[in-house]
Amino acid sequence: MSHLFPTQRTQIKTIFGRIIPRIRINNAYLFVAPSVLVMTIFMVYPIIQALWMSLHDWSFVSPERPFIAFDNYAELLQDPRALNSLRVTTIYTFISVPAQIGLGLLLALALNQPIRGVKLFRSIYFFPVISSFAVMSIVWKFLYDANIGLISQWLVKLGLPQINWLQSITWALPAVIFTGVWKNIGFVMVILLAGLQGIPEEYYEAARIDGASRWSCFRHITVPSLRQALIFVIVITVIASLQAFDQVYIMTRGGPLFTTETIVSYVYHQAFRLFRMGYASALSWILFLIIMAISVIQLKFFRYHEID
Amino acid sequence: MNAIRLLAIPVILSMVLVGCNPSTSSQPTETDVPAATQASEKVVITFWNGFTGGDRPTFEALFQEFNDTHPNIELKVDIQPWDTLGQKLPAALASGVGPDVSTPDYNVGTIWQYVNSGSIAPLDEIYGMEPGKIDINAMPPEVLEGFTRDGHIWAVPVNFGTLLLYYNKDLLAEAGYAEPPKTMEEFQEYAAKLTKKDDAGNVIQYGIALAENQTIPMWPILIWANGGDLTNDKGCSMLNDPKTVEAIKSWADLIVNEGISPVGLTGGDADNLFAAGKAAFEMNGPWAAGQYGPAGINFDVAPIPVGPAGAVTLVSTTPMVMSASTENKEAAYEFLVWWISKDTQRTLALGAGFPPARTDMADDPAFSENPLLQKFSAAAPYSRLYLPNAELFSQIDVDIFQPAIGRITRGESADVVLQEAHQQLNQLLGCPNQ
Repeated sequence: MSHLFPTQRTQIKTIFGRIIPRIRINNAYLFVAPSVLVMTIFMVYPIIQALWMSLHDWSFVSPERPFIAFDNYAELLQDPRALNSLRVTTIYTFISVPAQIGLGLLLALALNQPIRGVKLFRSIYFFPVISSFAVMSIVWKFLYDANIGLISQWLVKLGLPQINWLQSITWALPAVIFTGVWKNIGFVMVILLAGLQGIPEEYYEAARIDGASRWSCFRHITVPSLRQALIFVIVITVIASLQAFDQVYIMTRGGPLFTTETIVSYVYHQAFRLFRMGYASALSWILFLIIMAISVIQLKFFRYHEID
Repeated sequence: MNAIRLLAIPVILSMVLVGCNPSTSSQPTETDVPAATQASEKVVITFWNGFTGGDRPTFEALFQEFNDTHPNIELKVDIQPWDTLGQKLPAALASGVGPDVSTPDYNVGTIWQYVNSGSIAPLDEIYGMEPGKIDINAMPPEVLEGFTRDGHIWAVPVNFGTLLLYYNKDLLAEAGYAEPPKTMEEFQEYAAKLTKKDDAGNVIQYGIALAENQTIPMWPILIWANGGDLTNDKGCSMLNDPKTVEAIKSWADLIVNEGISPVGLTGGDADNLFAAGKAAFEMNGPWAAGQYGPAGINFDVAPIPVGPAGAVTLVSTTPMVMSASTENKEAAYEFLVWWISKDTQRTLALGAGFPPARTDMADDPAFSENPLLQKFSAAAPYSRLYLPNAELFSQIDVDIFQPAIGRITRGESADVVLQEAHQQLNQLLGCPNQ
């Protein structure tokens, strides 16, 4: 990391043309300080505070907050609803991430070509990313409604059975996943598009001269060149999927019989409906550790920091 | 310094800050407002409530009227959605910075957490026979009972909304019914008859819009009508009582086999369904009339059909509580007393369609013009509150009862599910399991 923090031996400071004596403190730290301060207050401090709260029976409404060590964590391991939320979140992630990466990559490849209106299409696909997820969830909730929703109407016209998507214990989770994927595809597309545009055209020309097929080009040129970008989007989408909450809260509130209750949704229920902040903090910390572990494993496995 | 040490500083700093904070919150401080300043300046009292519904204009007009007729008090009102209110209020009241007056939720059971944390003040002083107080004999007895604990009364009712049977006259006439059902048996029969399906088997018209969650409760009425209940007098579960099971089973069978109602409806969904003319019946309160009229539904209301246990319906009364750390007790009292006054209740009743929260206005001439209002008032004597004294209201209703109904209406065996729910409920309430 030493190359990121150049020592002052390589710098010569001048003010008013006069060379001033070396000072010990490195400029870089001063530049970084405001960001570090903000991150400390709004990220590091709440995380440590949550750990502290998770060791207590911490209720919002009661002034008594006894220290109970790891009782909250022990209760978590026995709580069927907490374990269910782990299961739901895992399924969510396993379906949502490949869908986002796969479809995002397809979109990026498709919109990397100089067709007419390509910029318009890119904006259209990116629009969900910048829209308010809460508002979009309300719209999707209406779309999915069995009686007054458009999706049901179209499907019934095609002769398919009318499904009450958000109240069906089989279809609520897929519906919620679909909304999540729809929201983030644009982001994946934009990142991969940028990656694609960085691939020199000469590679493809050389490959075509050597008689490579389209699929070979894709496998041996596109994908390896996109490696950094792909790793980035995979890590980001996994982290985001593990934290899925917005659309669950608005569309199903944890769903018909807890089939869409993700970890964060259950944390919300415990914290803001039952006011058990200590227990909710414990569950949040478990999620934090899971995300950290998965991210570290991913970065190590994909050897993100190595440059081929 | 390297990067690790750079990261360590914020972390250690945070730990120190966290550790230094006491884990018990400080008690709210009470300050005495000198009488002199109260007389010369306007006293400001804050009121948080959740009246975002169709009757909001009526409420806002009344708040304005209070400000106009009370020059020495300024009422500041903050109207928010109920779930937002439910999240912000506990912390605000507990830390002493909450509103002077508030409505924690439309369910009475939610005020007990505030009583336990000492966040709200008892309101015994406000009830009495003297002028300037609320006439205790004019209050509906079940309301007072629901608001009383440990010998103190903790709230003042905003309104008094009974649930009646809304029915779509056109849909009933189409099916050949001139009158709404009078008994529970007829009710089930009509609901089944009024459910229509298309050729593919999809339901295009529902007999009843029976909401399961996020609603003023409807299922309890069906259970009470049969003589069952969720909890008994001892405060323990009655979910496996044969009458409870029978009531739930008979309705769930109709839902599963005939499709008389969609499954998993929220209160809002149910209202929308009725307003769209796609459901023939809905049990709802007076506030809904304001939505169905403009929607063009030819509707009327009738008493809830009678079951073996006699006439019964649910009453919804929203409690108003006063913060324990309010600095403007007198002004808050004045507002609460004014709210229950006959004139205010008359305006509220006529504007929002709720029966007045007083028992001594039944013969008021202003109400004779409004048949809907008379019908809702007439149901008052046999109406009941839902889980009024339950501190664990959320856990009972949202975590145990609603999922049980959800499972049964999706085809699971009522006996099995209710037995499980019965054990869960007893465990929650600390009762021995039979």
